[in-house]
Amino acid sequence: MMQLSHAWLVDENPETRFQAGAGQTYRMVRALLRNPLAVVGLVIIIGLLIVAAFAPVLAPYSPIESNLGARLLAPSADHWMGTDELGRDILSRIIHGARITLMIVLLVAVISAPVGLLVGTVAGYFGGWVDRVLMGLTDVFLSMPKLILALAFVAALGPGIENAVIAIAITTWPVYARIARAETLTFRNAEFISAIQMQGASHTRVILRHIMPLCLSSTIVRVTLDMAGIILTAAGLGFLGLGAQPPLPEWGAMISSGRAFILDQWWVATMPGFAIVIVSLGFCLFGDGLRDVLDPRNRTR
Amino acid sequence: MSLLTIENLRVSFPGEQGAIEVVKGISFELGRERLGIVGESGSGKSMTGRSILRLIEKPGKVTADRMEFDGLDLMTLSNKRMRALRGARMSMVMQDPKFSLNPVMRIGDQIAEVLSFHSTLNARERRKRVLESLEAVRITDPERVYKLYPHEVSGGMGQRIMIAMMVILEPDLMIADEPTSALDVSVQAQVLDIMDDLVTRTGMGLIIISHDLNMVARYCDRILVMFNGEIVESCQASELANARHPYTQGLLASMPTLDEHRDRLPVLDRTQLGGV
Amino acid sequence: MIDLKHLSIAYGETSVVKDVTLHVPEGGSFALVGESGSGKSTILKAIAGQITNWTGRIRLGEHDLQHGRDPALVRLCQMVFQDPFGSLHPRKTVDTILSEPLSIHGIRDQNQRVLETLDAVGLARKFRFRLPHQLSGGQRQRVAIARALMLDPPVMLLDEPTSALDVSVQAEVLNLLKTLREERGLTYFLVTHDLPVVSFLCDNLGILQQGQLIELATVDQLKQQQFNSEYGNELLSKSF
Repeated sequence: MMQLSHAWLVDENPETRFQAGAGQTYRMVRALLRNPLAVVGLVIIIGLLIVAAFAPVLAPYSPIESNLGARLLAPSADHWMGTDELGRDILSRIIHGARITLMIVLLVAVISAPVGLLVGTVAGYFGGWVDRVLMGLTDVFLSMPKLILALAFVAALGPGIENAVIAIAITTWPVYARIARAETLTFRNAEFISAIQMQGASHTRVILRHIMPLCLSSTIVRVTLDMAGIILTAAGLGFLGLGAQPPLPEWGAMISSGRAFILDQWWVATMPGFAIVIVSLGFCLFGDGLRDVLDPRNRTR
Repeated sequence: MSLLTIENLRVSFPGEQGAIEVVKGISFELGRERLGIVGESGSGKSMTGRSILRLIEKPGKVTADRMEFDGLDLMTLSNKRMRALRGARMSMVMQDPKFSLNPVMRIGDQIAEVLSFHSTLNARERRKRVLESLEAVRITDPERVYKLYPHEVSGGMGQRIMIAMMVILEPDLMIADEPTSALDVSVQAQVLDIMDDLVTRTGMGLIIISHDLNMVARYCDRILVMFNGEIVESCQASELANARHPYTQGLLASMPTLDEHRDRLPVLDRTQLGGV
Repeated sequence: MIDLKHLSIAYGETSVVKDVTLHVPEGGSFALVGESGSGKSTILKAIAGQITNWTGRIRLGEHDLQHGRDPALVRLCQMVFQDPFGSLHPRKTVDTILSEPLSIHGIRDQNQRVLETLDAVGLARKFRFRLPHQLSGGQRQRVAIARALMLDPPVMLLDEPTSALDVSVQAEVLNLLKTLREERGLTYFLVTHDLPVVSFLCDNLGILQQGQLIELATVDQLKQQQFNSEYGNELLSKSF
């Protein structure tokens, strides 16, 4: 039986591939946990995940049933965050809204990062006209302001969460392509690439197994740091009524509908605002810590 | 009086399991002579050079019982006074001119900058001094080179420009850290000759830090061999073949010669030396 | 084994290699010496298939090299690069580095071969799953040599194989290269500026100056310091 002990993991001479891989991961995790801000970020993200996973259990009330008799109540023991203009408990809406936020963020990351990574590494690896065509394409998308482009797409495709996700993903991938290309160029002519080419590796193998792994850490860090921006863009679209549609408790949409009451019933718009700020902060802090661990050269200390 | 006196110099850096000492209490003196400090990677030779100029910052820690330059106590000088010393009275030439010259400044301007920090000459006088210094390093058309950018000159010329920059104020001490490692064989000789010339003319003290035992034996008066943070051999350059420490002997024996007849080269037994 | 006939390489207007002709017999060890800019690395890269705009003929064994990607080249020659830090992928273990060429060519019994080659280059088995940054310069260079041996090529191209190593480690690697050649009957084509290394490792050498082959000499001539050309003797005098 394998012992996953500390000693086994930090052994200088691992005996199997698994031990070597596990050891590396362990060292990274430990380094990450030594950074208090990164830990705060991680806690927030884990909090988000738990809240999203157990939303139906955690939320005290239904997020969509209105109760016009309890409209616009201030925060109290019954309603920790008060109620909105349709008498719905804001806390419950925020809890369920976490699911939507998480879904948007994960879907965008899962769509845009691989696309960007592929475009960037292929462009950097082949150079020449491939590079020019791909980067030209990337530049076209990069040159457009994110929110406007997202707006345009949503306006064309129609409002709704899925379309919002697609729209945001379309505006996000170019940055990853640029990063991946820059990273690829730094070792494109390194001897270890020449070596594996001399051993007969196909271009596909070189890109997938040799170049992409080296671009992964910067991409992961950038994705994590971008999550805050993605949340805000989604909130912006929701705010404009182009993202999640009512009665879905998307945080941006909640801020929008709370605008009308901001002076007297501040909690309706502000509570979802806090939620956005805290989650964005969590991703930023964690992303920063991740970058310190994965790419020690960029230490911000 | 000796130019530089070092007693019990120690340099350490924090590590995961406590402090790691990279220079372990070395002592030596330098007069107006050419001293070579030879060692392999990890021997601590570069750290020694940098600590003399107080170029080692936190988290590195430098301690010494005595580190004196021409009577001045280097350990207790303020940063401001240290800055005044660097470039003017003690200077350092590093390995690769590609990395030590500012790529976006013209060569002449860079050298002139040194003068503007440390002296009160006007622009025309500065230019004259710069051109003189370029001539001193055997650059035949200093006017042309004055206007060039670093990437427009070869490695050998870049290194000579580096030397010009470092000696324009006629320092008393020059430390050269691997000055010829990035250069071609034929250019190496030229650069070393120039440094040799400067030392003879100005009476400057020179420390050459290198891994090239043969080069150092040829161009220096005295040699210190460092291994694992300590000085293991100190001898006149002419006496190198009679080295007494097993590390130096091992090093000399393991290098192939032009007239090589051995079937296998002898290999250093590091366990015997207590190293890694 | 290695035949270069009228090899010329030019970049636009500049001619970098000018009409070089030389022959290395099977099992021989040949060095190209010269200063930087002499074209010696360019010739090596042309033989390795990294440069494709050459004219003339390059022949390895029975095979004439094609311009562009030549699949036959892979089993004919492999290269050991100069910089042990740059020639190994930073994220791959020694094991992966050594088994990858076997995977690419569908060679089975990978485990056995990896272990055998580790032994052949004098690397203890405990290093098998280490990453490059956990190895010393000398150990990395041994891995690079092992990698080159994995596909059993008859020709080994060596680009300044020891100049980036510490003096004390250099001797070990040079001994290893000599042993491997004797044991496996390899043909070495070495590029270096270090004449003592040539004296130890090679039978013959060619002196290049600005792309032209000034002299072809034997290593005996080197040892007696009797070259025929003026430039050759000049190089000798600059070597301490």
